[in-house]
Amino acid sequence: MFFYYMDLGWRSIKKTPYLSLLMVLAISIGIGITITTFNVYQQMNTNPAGERSTQLFAVQLMSQGKDTWPDINAQITYQDAMNLRQSTIPTRQIAMYKTGAAVQTGDANFQPMLENIRATDSDFFDLFSVPFIYGAPWDKSIDVDAAYQVVIDADLNQRLFKGENSVGRELYLNQMPYQVVGVIADWHQSPKYYDLNNGPFSDPESIYVPLSLAPIEEFESWGNNQSWNTENIRNYQEGLHSETHWLQYWVELESEQQVQDYQAWLQAYVKQQQGLGRFERDDARGEVSDVQAWLDFNKVVPEDNKILVGLSVLFLVVCLVNMLGLLLAKFLKRAPEVGVRRAIGASRLQIFAQYMIEVAMIGAAGGVFGLLWAWMALSLLTSRFKLGEALTQLDLSMWIFAPMIAIVSTLLAGMYPAWRICRTQPSIYLKSQ
Amino acid sequence: MMLHVKPILSSLMRNKTGPLLLLVQIMLSVAIVANASFIIIERLSLMQRDSGVEETQVFTFNLYAFDTDTDIDLDKQRQRDLAAIRRLPEVIDASTINMSPLGGGGSSSTFTVGESQETSQYAPEAPIFYSDEHLVNTLGVKLIEGRNFYADEVITSGGEAPTLVLVTQVFAQKTWGDESPLGQIIYMGEWGDYPVKVIGVIETLQGAWVDREMNDNSLIFNVPMNGAFHKYVVRSDLDNIASLKEIIPALLHQDEPNRVIKGFKTIAEYRQSAYRAHELMATVLGMMVILLLLITSLGLAGLVMFNVGRRTKQIGTRRALGATKGDIVRFFLVENYIICIIGGSLGAILALQLGEQLMQLYSLPILAPIYPLLTFLGLIVLTTIAVIVPAQKAAMISPATATRSV
Amino acid sequence: MLAMKNVSKIFKTDLVETHALRDFNLEVNEGEFVAVTGPSGSGKTTFLNIAGLLEGFTQGDYFLDGVNISNVSDNKSAAIRNEKIGFIFQGFNLISDLNLAENVEVPLRYRGFNAKERQRRVIEALEQVGLAARMKHLPSQLSGGQQQRVAIARALAGKPRFLLADEPTGNLDSLMARQVMALLENINQAGTTIIMVTHDGDLARRAQRNIQIVDGQVCDFSLYQGQDLSATKEAHQQVNIANKPVAV
Repeated sequence: MFFYYMDLGWRSIKKTPYLSLLMVLAISIGIGITITTFNVYQQMNTNPAGERSTQLFAVQLMSQGKDTWPDINAQITYQDAMNLRQSTIPTRQIAMYKTGAAVQTGDANFQPMLENIRATDSDFFDLFSVPFIYGAPWDKSIDVDAAYQVVIDADLNQRLFKGENSVGRELYLNQMPYQVVGVIADWHQSPKYYDLNNGPFSDPESIYVPLSLAPIEEFESWGNNQSWNTENIRNYQEGLHSETHWLQYWVELESEQQVQDYQAWLQAYVKQQQGLGRFERDDARGEVSDVQAWLDFNKVVPEDNKILVGLSVLFLVVCLVNMLGLLLAKFLKRAPEVGVRRAIGASRLQIFAQYMIEVAMIGAAGGVFGLLWAWMALSLLTSRFKLGEALTQLDLSMWIFAPMIAIVSTLLAGMYPAWRICRTQPSIYLKSQ
Repeated sequence: MMLHVKPILSSLMRNKTGPLLLLVQIMLSVAIVANASFIIIERLSLMQRDSGVEETQVFTFNLYAFDTDTDIDLDKQRQRDLAAIRRLPEVIDASTINMSPLGGGGSSSTFTVGESQETSQYAPEAPIFYSDEHLVNTLGVKLIEGRNFYADEVITSGGEAPTLVLVTQVFAQKTWGDESPLGQIIYMGEWGDYPVKVIGVIETLQGAWVDREMNDNSLIFNVPMNGAFHKYVVRSDLDNIASLKEIIPALLHQDEPNRVIKGFKTIAEYRQSAYRAHELMATVLGMMVILLLLITSLGLAGLVMFNVGRRTKQIGTRRALGATKGDIVRFFLVENYIICIIGGSLGAILALQLGEQLMQLYSLPILAPIYPLLTFLGLIVLTTIAVIVPAQKAAMISPATATRSV
Repeated sequence: MLAMKNVSKIFKTDLVETHALRDFNLEVNEGEFVAVTGPSGSGKTTFLNIAGLLEGFTQGDYFLDGVNISNVSDNKSAAIRNEKIGFIFQGFNLISDLNLAENVEVPLRYRGFNAKERQRRVIEALEQVGLAARMKHLPSQLSGGQQQRVAIARALAGKPRFLLADEPTGNLDSLMARQVMALLENINQAGTTIIMVTHDGDLARRAQRNIQIVDGQVCDFSLYQGQDLSATKEAHQQVNIANKPVAV
């Protein structure tokens, strides 16, 4: 029967080509717009940490003075970062910040490049599951006793060493020699949840250096430096001991118990610092947020996007109501034929099925064209607004999702007209007028 | 137009579903279109704001000095660099700057003002530019009161607090009202700490953050930034900017090769990226509005066309009974106007409700009632066009149709 | 085969109650050819709709093949229509965008026959009405008489036990009407029970039995063969009363 209904549906669609076209157009534009906005939303709303999401926690401290910042800040001070390291509860923990330096090789003709650098601890790579091509992270002892070692990414390895295994080779950062200990694969987290300072969709750094080098090499922070205090900071060392927030701090906690223990430890730490005259606020506290909570806290999905998704869903509803009206008009015009079919022995369900299949065909066509519109709109937006490809790539799931919402939503819209028509009282239409 | 609204109305009431659907469609369309166009206009007006800078002529670039030789006097070197750049024939003026206007990142701060400790209060948060006497001319901003820094007033030894400041008109107005800002003192930190005297007023200068309200409150201090990493700002004629991107690095490397020079970008380019999200929003919403109107009017025309087909005989009978072609067209117009007016009014109310929700949920201003009203009027026009075409066709139905059995 | 006992059908609106059929009694035997006549508004069509399970009724019982089908579900009645009843309408009611074969195939589709069986029956039915050669034509390409023959083929394709015909020749000229009537008589002779509503006295007389419906009640004229059927309404009512003096 299915193919029979398909055949009947196709004939019916062909019989009113403009009307059918209008319906396909309406539904496809509705789907196209919804998919476009939803796709961008989806891309922004992904949680790249995957299953690690619930084990990785960003640490925040309400360390500011009274009557200064109203809210807890996303970053912490250097002195707090050093103190937090004392806790033995987390499975892994790291402090870090973004910096940069001029990169050179031993080759005198090599044009120096300015590269972004992440100063961090050895556990960074395991904590965020960063894959290595060659070598490994620097030894954990270096987090305390600084050494001039670096991990670089595959792209920089290509540019500096032509992609060879460069472990053991040397490169220069601000004219200081560093030894390469590891090369990581292309690793691009989008959004870049572990440091959202320079925008959630910015590129990862190409070089990783031990954080322990920061006080020695005096790497400037290239992220946000936030200060609530009016202290006068004259040099780098003063900055390290200031109340300026510029580091990110992450811990890995594998069980609920571990999370509770760590929260208790943070509370104790805040108490201890209050004893030293810091953390003046009544609501001074430490907080941990897993990756999803962290993305929410930092409002990674811009409000504009939520508005667009909301409006486009309303738009889709308009398209569906539009279609519902057209379908109703079209189906009711066919009441005499339905009367004949009913008289000849078609059950209501059979009539309903026949018309729902016709609706589904229109919906499917709408979905396919909708996908096409979405793809076009996204390519247009990408080229016009130079949006990162990460944001405007049509998500794979959309290829299934688009026809599905097209069919489901048209079926919903078609349900009423099909129901109305299947309730046709056959006897009314059989008498010739 | 003593048109028989009553029979039309009762016929609509009998055929509830079709008109009801049209009503819902019109209602939602008005709600969406009103809010979308409101947001579009809001974004466009944001984008229209003046930065005060000669955006196409001014560009900035970054220098990063990485020489480990700590004996190099970066301050002296900066002065040599800027002097060399200013000597270039293509360059109108050049200066040092700590952030690019509309650049997205930089410095801002809050200051204390007041006659005494007791009456002291915070001045509004302001973007802060650290530079020298060349900045005003380099950016092309207008000094409307007071004076610029003199060369010998610029503090060049790094780490010192500033003593003089140029304020924007907006900042002056917000801080001192109608009082003259000239000679006023602002304190960096608590009252009494690091006093800075206002010596000039700039008409307009925007800071780095286009989405922050404080962006118009900019201040310029008489202390250039000092450090390994800093920015220069250059003004030149439009035609020369491309070649200067080549000339300047070569020139500066002659003096000191151990530095990376990159990131040449005009303020116009910064503007483009700064407003990209707004432009994107306006574009997508604009697309939505156009398509929505298209779909609604096509849907309306389609329905009328269908009704014409269904009522062929009825129309023929009316014609036979003496209705003119105009009467038939008017019949369809009135029928759809009734739906349109009810739907449009409900839609306008819904639009205001939706606007209210959006304002509460997101940082949008409240929807101005003029938008639903204009949308509503636009809808009437659209309805007329969408209905008149098929209705004209209906009017062509011959009166003889009535006597023929189908 | 078909029996209606005290069937009543009342249409109610806010203002009036209309009795379309009242205490309607009728029995039709297997193989009969019954003509139903009566003035407009007498209830002929209501009777036919109820007999064909296209409408329900208010009171009474309806037996088809000995089974009481007074309160069957909509699905069940659709199945009964499909299997046991064939319909022929005054306006033919062919589906205009299906060709002849596809039109005839419609009831077979709903019956769930496979493609082979459907094709066999379609050809057989179309041959029976003499239109097998034109099976790929659209209804609009045929004359009225041919269209009605296709409609008959459609009714026959499911091999129904009885045919309900509503003014089958009403839209046809007399030559075509005679052809269609002859076809119906052939079908009847092959064993199919036929109930035909008509207002054409000549046609009615060709049936084995004539029933007249007046004011929603039946007068069975098989008892009065040869009487003038175009008598006045009053006369029928008298007959009616004479027949059933109790029922008023």
